[in-house]
Parts: sequence; C-alpha cells; structure tokens
Amino acid sequence: MRAGVLTGIRLGLVSCESCGLLSRPLRVAEPGHCPRCGEELELRRHNAIQRTWALIIAAFICYIPANVLPVMVSNTLVSTEDDTILSGVVLLYETGSWPLALIVLIASVMIPLAKLSALAYLLITVQRRSIEGQNDRIRLYRIVEFVGRWSMLDVFVIAFTVALIQLQPLMSVEPGYGVLFFAAVVVLTMIAAETFDPRSIWDSSNE
Amino acid sequence: MTDHTDINNVPEAVAVPKKRMRFSVVWIIPIVAAIVAVGIAVQQILSKGPTINIVFKEAEGIEAGKTFVKHKDVKIGQVTKVKLTKDFTHVVVTASIDKSAAGLIVEDTKFYIEQPRVSLSGISGLGTLMSGNYIGIEVGKSTKAHYEFIGLEVPPPISIEEPGRRFILEADNLGSVGIGSPLYYRRLNVGQVIGYDLAENGRSVTIKVFVKAPYDKYVTADTRFWQASGVDVSLGADGLSVRTQSALSVLIGGIAFETFGSFGDVKPAAEKAVFNLYGNRTEAAAKIEEVVTPYVLRFKEGLRGLSVGAPVTYLGFPIGEVTSVRLEGDMMTGDIHPRVDIVIYLGRFVRHMKKVDTAKEMGMSLQERRPTVQRLVDRGLRAQLKSGSLVTGQLYVAFDLHKDAPRVKIDFTKSPPELPTVPSGLADLQEKLQSILARLEGLLKRADEEVVPEAKKTLEELRGVLKSVDTTVVGKDAPMQQDLRETLQEINRAAQAVRGLTESLERNPDAIIRGKTQEKP
Repeated sequence: MRAGVLTGIRLGLVSCESCGLLSRPLRVAEPGHCPRCGEELELRRHNAIQRTWALIIAAFICYIPANVLPVMVSNTLVSTEDDTILSGVVLLYETGSWPLALIVLIASVMIPLAKLSALAYLLITVQRRSIEGQNDRIRLYRIVEFVGRWSMLDVFVIAFTVALIQLQPLMSVEPGYGVLFFAAVVVLTMIAAETFDPRSIWDSSNE
Repeated sequence: MTDHTDINNVPEAVAVPKKRMRFSVVWIIPIVAAIVAVGIAVQQILSKGPTINIVFKEAEGIEAGKTFVKHKDVKIGQVTKVKLTKDFTHVVVTASIDKSAAGLIVEDTKFYIEQPRVSLSGISGLGTLMSGNYIGIEVGKSTKAHYEFIGLEVPPPISIEEPGRRFILEADNLGSVGIGSPLYYRRLNVGQVIGYDLAENGRSVTIKVFVKAPYDKYVTADTRFWQASGVDVSLGADGLSVRTQSALSVLIGGIAFETFGSFGDVKPAAEKAVFNLYGNRTEAAAKIEEVVTPYVLRFKEGLRGLSVGAPVTYLGFPIGEVTSVRLEGDMMTGDIHPRVDIVIYLGRFVRHMKKVDTAKEMGMSLQERRPTVQRLVDRGLRAQLKSGSLVTGQLYVAFDLHKDAPRVKIDFTKSPPELPTVPSGLADLQEKLQSILARLEGLLKRADEEVVPEAKKTLEELRGVLKSVDTTVVGKDAPMQQDLRETLQEINRAAQAVRGLTESLERNPDAIIRGKTQEKP
C-alpha cells in the first residue's frame, strides 16, 4: 500500500463495525459507541493484539495434549486400544495407505500448527511495526481464515465413528480426551484469526 | 483537519464511562487451557500405579499393549513390555498396574497366565479364547508392596479368598490323584487337591487338599482320609473286592474322607493339620478301633503269602490284622525265624459276642484282660496260618482251639506278649506226608533185607514142585495123560451116538412115541 493514503484515523473518524456508519470518536483512546446502532466503536479492534496472543497461547497449550492424549478409544472383545492422532497416522502408514496417512498428518497435525505459527508471525510483525510484505501477510491471513472452517473435520469423523460404532459388547469406540483438546485448538485458532485485526498490518506504514 | 460542514454535521459520540483493564479478560482462556492441560497431566501421573516385572517361563499369548492384568476379571493393569531375560531362558513381562489396584501388588501375590486349560476337574479359561490370554493374579495377604515377581505356571486352583481350610495328607504314593482331583465327603464333592509334593526324604508324598466351607467343619482330628481313586480292586486273603467312589473319581481319581465312630461334637481340625492318607476305605475305617492289643506270633514255617493287613480271625470271625511280617533272631547263632506282629481289636471281638457288657469289656485294662487270654490259651487257643484262597495263596492268621495242644504259659511281661502257634494245616499235611514216606522207605528197606531171600527160597521149592507136576501130569506117557485120552475117546463115541439119535428124530419125529419104524422101500 502506498503510504500517506487518507484513512479514517487520519481524518479523526471511525467507522462502526456493525452498521458501517462513519462517526467522529469522542477521544482516540475511547471512541465511544455508535450513535446509530449502539455498537462500541473502535478505531482498531479492541485489544486485538493481546487477545489474539492469549488465544494463540491457549491454542498452543491445548495443542500438546491434543497430540499426546488419545483421541479415540476402541474397545473390542480382544483388546482396548488407545489411538492418538499420530498413532493413527503411523497405523495408516504401516497398513499401506500412505496417502490417507499424509492427509491426516497434514490436516490434523500440520495445519493447526501452521495456522498458529502464521498468526503468531502476523502478530509479531504487527508489533514490530514491520512495513515489509504487507500484501503477502494479508494473503496469509486470508488463507488462515479460510482453512479454519475445515479443521473440525477430525472432530466430526470421531463424533460420527463414536456414534456409529457401538456394537456392545463386540466393539465400541469412545472419544478420548485428546479430541476435546483438538477441538479446543481448532476453535481457539478460529477465534484468534477472527480477533486479529488485519487493518493493523498497514498501521505502521500510515504513521 | 478542516472545518468542513459535513464533518461538523457528523454527530458526536456518546460518552459511556468505563473501567479499562490493563490486561484483557481473554487471558483467562490460555490460563484455563493451561490449568486443564496441567491438571490432566498431573492426573495421569498420579493415576499411574506401580510398574511390575513378572518373570515367566514363556509368554504365551502375551503382547505388550494388548494383554491385561486382571483380578476377578476386572482389568487392573496392562502389559507394557515383553522381553527375554539376559540369559534368554525366561521372559520378563513388564506391566503397569492401575493406581487403584496398587494395594493388590504385595509380596506374596502370585501371577499366572490365564489361558484355556483342560484339567482334571474341568475346562477353564474358555473366555480367553475370545479375549486372548491375560495375566491373572492371586492376591497375597502381605501388606508389603513388591514389584518383582516370578509367575506361576498354572493358576492356583483355589483362590485365597475362598472360605475353607487346607489340610495336609501324607501318603506312601500319589496314587491316581492329581491337582484338581476332587475331595469327597459322603460322596459329595467338597473340595479338591491343590498340590502335592514329595517329602524331603523322598519316602512319602504330601498332598495338600482344600475343603470348602462349610464342609471343612466335618474334618476333625479323628477324620480319616483315603484314596478314592478309580476302581479299587483288591485281591486279598478275604477274596476279590471292587470298590468305586463316583463315576468321576473312577476316571480322575479322588480322595474321600469320613469320621468313623465320631463321639458327639468334636472340634474341627486346625488349618494345615496333617492326616494320614489310607489306601482305601476299609483300611481307613479299620484303624479307628479304640482298643488295640498287639501280640507277637512266631512261626516255624515260611510266610510266603502272608501280607501286612491280612486278617486275623478267631474261629472264623475277623478280630484283627497283621501289622508286620519280618525276620528276627540272632545273626551269630543263625537262629533266624519269621516273626509276625498282629493287633487284636477288642471292639470287634466284643461285637461278635452276644449278651456281653460291651462298655465294661471295653473299659477293662490290658492287665485285667490277661487272665482271660491265659484261660483261652489253656483251652488250646493257637494261632495257625491258613490259606485264604487257593488261587492266590494268600495266607491269614487263624486262632482256633486245639484241644490236644500242650499247655503254654504266656509271658505278659514281654511287650508285646507272644501267643503260641501251631503249624499250619498245610505244613502239618506236609509233615505227615513226609513221615509216611519215611515209614514207607523203612518198610521197603526191611522188605529188601528180610523178605527177598525168603522169597528166593520159596521160589526154588516151587520150581521143584512144578517139575514133579510136569512128570506126573503133563508128560507124554504120564498115566494121567493116558487116562485122559481114553476118556476123551469115550466121550467122542458118545457124542456120535447122540448125533445119530438126533438125525433119526429129525426124520421121524414120531419115532419117539412109536419106536423105530422100518423104512419104506
């Protein structure tokens, strides 16, 4: 983006995020509420960086048990087996279906990690007021937002499996704690992506 | 900025007073996440029970991560590792036990691999056909925790918690008893054999049995155990006898017990009390006689066919049995002869008698009974070996009254006192036969010496007589011969005349009435 472009902040104006009404803020620190719809006005999303950081850190914390704890406990007459995401990948690979193993590995292990890393990277660059590669960064942000909704696939699969495979006493599948953490990772990452204010990417170049 | 009307027309925002927080509430999320994650980690660590190592001979059907440790069919742990010992002779199975079950893992806890088993008392562990083998435990009573164990090869047949009592039986041999063989009380299956072992000196066998509650109270100090193994065929002096316990025990053997002649309520025997195991029921029942009087018999004859346990009879009534048969004597003088120890059961003796004060008789002491025994001996009471069966040649000791026996005084100072004997009928017969033969021999000898020369002389005389007979009677010109010839000629002529008569009579039968008629021309 070109520097010196006219922005709302430069004009001392703020647009409401829900109804889009342009208004003058009371003060820069506390812009007040939208006179039309009553929504709290923010020049930038309130505390966006801090919140995003909090969510990302929470997601990171959850990411560890999500991978360590079993996501699925399958009870058969013969045995009880605990499966973590990674053991599932290993099992798939060992049984010869390496494309499936790759899909699971990418979708369930690498993508959440990549999303978290991407958000962390965006936050760091914003905080360091970096003016480089702003277009690349917004593209990265869009990808993160887009991918987010597909990340719950694993959780859905497990939910379906658990509901369908209840052949007591021959076989039954129960969800493990891991799946809760996995869902938490996905949800927290999505919220974090939502909380992040992409406008802040250009803030530094406007000053 | 500028005083642009448009901008001035923009309404001013409404001020709403609000506290600002330095830190966003959002930080609660990572804190909660961290607390939950740490909480789960802590719970995982805390719930981790002890890890134990069990050494097995072989790890049949044991797989790391798939085999469980189960108590009462409840999963209490899981095998985490299976590997060989350093010398490759055994298998070390590492299992992590749930914290909740850690109390079960004590010093004397026993581990075994539960698998399908076909044993004497049935089939067990069929469930493992479906679920796979698992490690069973037999919880010990100790309270000391322990983490290294040696696994059993077979599961203990009786759980330590099963109410009942264990007893130890001593026997000469194991018979057909095995672990799991049933224990019968009045033909009820009330327990089983839980183990056996050779005695340390190798001369006997100790058998451990378990009697289930409430039947264990029937085992008292007077209880007798005997082998109810299979079919008990005994061919003794008292003939052929066949006994069986139950159809099952015929197949797999077993032990039975009973309290013979119990007197009121007797205290049950203590745990791990030691009992004798008798060969059969008769043997077990016999030993219960209260008044047992030992005696010694010395025979002059061979005792082949007399075995320990052979009956002792008085005029045909069984009153005791042989307890030992052996040789005794002086090695220096070479005077070695068989000695037979017997016992007389007064109870049986008295039982056969009519109108007798049993209690009084039984209550008499050995001293008091001595005159009776002496009186019997005075009247000719003698022990004798008799053949119980001609087929088997088994002998038994029979007391009979021999009227003509010489008087014997019993030496009651000896213990046990000796009772007089007479040679057996068989030996008697043998002796008599021998004396007959001896006499026959003497007879023959005398005949040889005295009769034969006499006979020779007689024979010579006889020959002279015969010669004279020859000349007077048999010679060609002997007068007797001539007379004889003439007589024969006379007879011949007479016979011819008779023939002529009969012929003419045939022709003219009426000639006998009318006389001879002239023949018609």
